[in-house]
Amino acid sequence: MSKLTRSRWFWAWDDEKEEKWLTEMANNGWHLKNVSFPGRYTFEQDAPRNMSYRLDFFTDRKRREDYLQIFADAGWEHVAQYGSWQYFRKEAGPGEEPEIFTDNESKVKKYQRVIAILVPLTPIWIIMINRLNRRPEIFFQAVTFIGFLIMLFYIYTMLMMLRRVSRLKRK
Amino acid sequence: MGNNINKYLPLTESTAYILLALNEPLHGYGVMQKVKVISENTVNIGPGTLYGAFSSLEEQGMIVKAGETDRRKMYVVTEKGRQTLDEHVRRLEILVKNRPSRGTS
Repeated sequence: MSKLTRSRWFWAWDDEKEEKWLTEMANNGWHLKNVSFPGRYTFEQDAPRNMSYRLDFFTDRKRREDYLQIFADAGWEHVAQYGSWQYFRKEAGPGEEPEIFTDNESKVKKYQRVIAILVPLTPIWIIMINRLNRRPEIFFQAVTFIGFLIMLFYIYTMLMMLRRVSRLKRK
Repeated sequence: MGNNINKYLPLTESTAYILLALNEPLHGYGVMQKVKVISENTVNIGPGTLYGAFSSLEEQGMIVKAGETDRRKMYVVTEKGRQTLDEHVRRLEILVKNRPSRGTS
């Protein structure tokens, strides 16, 4: 069975773009097998199928079994996990597009779960950068700069997620 | 008690149907199937939406665990859940009562 590995970057608020891409790959006979750091997607070749790929963000390890059972009973296969992102797929009949979230409120809650993970990390970064910045050595200055870039990345992600949530709420 | 319940209202259509379906103990898939039938196919609940609703309803004390079958947790509505649903339905009935009648004469 031939395999294919692709590297691609998707922002957390672009999950629908990612779902569409995975669906297109399956339409062309490339079925997702695994996702690993940093955004490496492994596919296996098989007959082209019309699949619906959907992503969820789930962090509650203690209830993972109950969570996956409900998806399995509803006909969704848990294909891969990347961090807290869960990849599901379900075969779609003609003209069908199965969804794991069937109302806006639950879609909003998914993005709020991502934001809830990012929010407490921001003050940690700020404190760390502040401490490191006091050291004059070039090494610490370099680390501070990298830390600063990562913090900007977090803040940008949070703002874009909030924008996504407010757009969904307006629908 | 009334104020206590009002903060949960109005329920989303999915949540209202989940509470309605849980007047008997059911597991997740049982709820999805029952809602489809009793809503005459107007409401379809996906697993992500259902799992999220189960978690928040349990946290709010509107449903409780009622045993297990084949490793699947079953839930049933509590008194608080029933009261909330009753109040939601009462509001909908007021809405229906106010609907202008069309060409009945």
